[in-house]
Amino acid sequence: MHRHRPEEPVIEICDLTRSFENGVGMIPVLHRVDLAIYPGEMVAIMGPSGSGKSTLLAILGLFLAPSSGTYKVLDRNVLELSRAAQAEFRRNVVGFVFQSCNLIEHSTVYENLEYPLIYAGIRRRERTGRILDALARVNMSHRLHHPSNLLSGGEQQRVAVARAVVNRPRIILADEPTGQLDRSNGQMVMDYFNHFVEDEETAVVLVTHDPEVAARCHRICYLEDGVLVSRGRPGVFRSGSSSVYTPGEA
Amino acid sequence: MRRYLGVVLAITVGTAGFIVVITMGQEVKKTLNTDLDLLGGATLVKVRFEEYLPNRDRFSKPPTFQSETINALKTMPGVQAVSAAAAKMTWGTSTWHNARRSFAVLAADGLFFRVNGLAPVSGELFGADAVNERARIVVIGEELARSLFETADATGRILPIDKDLFLVTGVLGGTLAGDRVNSAFIPLTTGRDRLENLGPVDRLYIRCSSWDDVARVAEAVPALVGMHQSAERLRVDVAWDPLKRVQRIAWWIEVFVYLAIVATLVLGGFGIWNGMMAAVQARTREIGLKKAMGAEDRDILIQFLIESLFLSSGSAAMGVLLGRVCVETMSSFLKCRPPEELFAACVMMGIGFSVLLGIGAGFYPSLRASRMEVVSAIRYE
Repeated sequence: MHRHRPEEPVIEICDLTRSFENGVGMIPVLHRVDLAIYPGEMVAIMGPSGSGKSTLLAILGLFLAPSSGTYKVLDRNVLELSRAAQAEFRRNVVGFVFQSCNLIEHSTVYENLEYPLIYAGIRRRERTGRILDALARVNMSHRLHHPSNLLSGGEQQRVAVARAVVNRPRIILADEPTGQLDRSNGQMVMDYFNHFVEDEETAVVLVTHDPEVAARCHRICYLEDGVLVSRGRPGVFRSGSSSVYTPGEA
Repeated sequence: MRRYLGVVLAITVGTAGFIVVITMGQEVKKTLNTDLDLLGGATLVKVRFEEYLPNRDRFSKPPTFQSETINALKTMPGVQAVSAAAAKMTWGTSTWHNARRSFAVLAADGLFFRVNGLAPVSGELFGADAVNERARIVVIGEELARSLFETADATGRILPIDKDLFLVTGVLGGTLAGDRVNSAFIPLTTGRDRLENLGPVDRLYIRCSSWDDVARVAEAVPALVGMHQSAERLRVDVAWDPLKRVQRIAWWIEVFVYLAIVATLVLGGFGIWNGMMAAVQARTREIGLKKAMGAEDRDILIQFLIESLFLSSGSAAMGVLLGRVCVETMSSFLKCRPPEELFAACVMMGIGFSVLLGIGAGFYPSLRASRMEVVSAIRYE
């Protein structure tokens, strides 16, 4: 059973290349990558260590500039944005979930969720409502004023997910979000991502090594030696989980 | 917070020191002026009308200082006290073996000894009460006592001067007495009543508040006297050499005190700089996370600058409190009350300087934090 295919991709990458200088010469990490991700689509990026997964995610988050190619978000070339506009893009369009050390130490759960709202200029009264709403979606309302460093690993990651969505982003970028969680906590985080995708039409791009996590995504992209291979037709989402992708299957 | 303890202490002590030195400096100078014999001589301005005047009568009776002139001098800025005196050369005869010799008698007001910083070697010196009571008492110099009574302890002896008998109540000596050890001193009112041919009040002794006031007061005296009476034959004497020595010593002390304060505050500044650099490094990942959440460079810059400012101005606020405690303690110790406006001005300067220190020392670490790249900050271990 397939859902409808949206007309416009939320992320569109064309011919994207990224190389790094290593003192001897240029080392290509990403080579002519093309990728389109549609609203409500959850895409897993897999590949061996050093294949360029995190580099691709960093470029998607505008943490890193590509060596060449284009990157459009909602049909706007975001590579031309100024430093301030890039920050605005990060606070209004994307939400990030990292593998570990995701929360700001010595701050409460409330304060961790408040930062993105402060940067976005949301008024204090509205901030509290949004924070409670985001925490409710990951079942963490009871930890509102709890110090973040006293939470368990699973709870910290759930708070990180809540923080990523508190500004209601169009895109969630997650770098191995379940990497340090046990199976049940990992499943829980993936459930939350599924809800955002289905309820909010949010696009989720996650880097993972876990085939089970990738299997819950609509599409799996495999990076090998900087070349991206995609399984599944872009924008055509199966309501069930995708099968595990292995190289050479595409 | 432990990392900033030294910084907080340095800025607190520096600010308190600055406030105390500026607020209490003038009062301390006044106390030193009173307490130290050397300063007592150095801050004295002697004003007198000369008897000898070239191109006129060789000697003529000098004019007297009018009471309006003396009152005007008392109210001059930088003047602590003014004493007036009149002199007469006369014969005195002691009851001891009828020793008789000539000596100078100075009829002085109640402030004379205090203004001149003179001290007795025995007995006591007279003050305002003896002048008001027109007491028939005399204070004699140590040498005069020896020549008249063959002892320096002449207290209680009777000294005939002119036609009256005077009770010796004290003997004058000490380093500042100078050639006054050969003179006798009686209350001015008594002298006017009982001594024939007592000269006019032709000499004034002006004690300045501090050594910084001496030159200004000495320069202003002739004009001020001239406003009330003729200033012809007026002579103003200042012990310039001791004054310059005192000023030089005081200047060096002030320089060292200010250098110590500046060094303390600069150390505090370096502490802020060092602490903020360490904080930026320790919180690299936090900076990366905040940037990933959408913080702009200026948000990070402002965050760290505010922390730096909070540190410096908070420490300065504690310094103000400590300074206030010190000023109150010193005020009660010195029995004085420095002007509140001066304290308020010092507080403003102290806080202002700490703000500059906070911005100056915190700016580079804050700038460095704001310029961090998100990827390297998030991956920082």
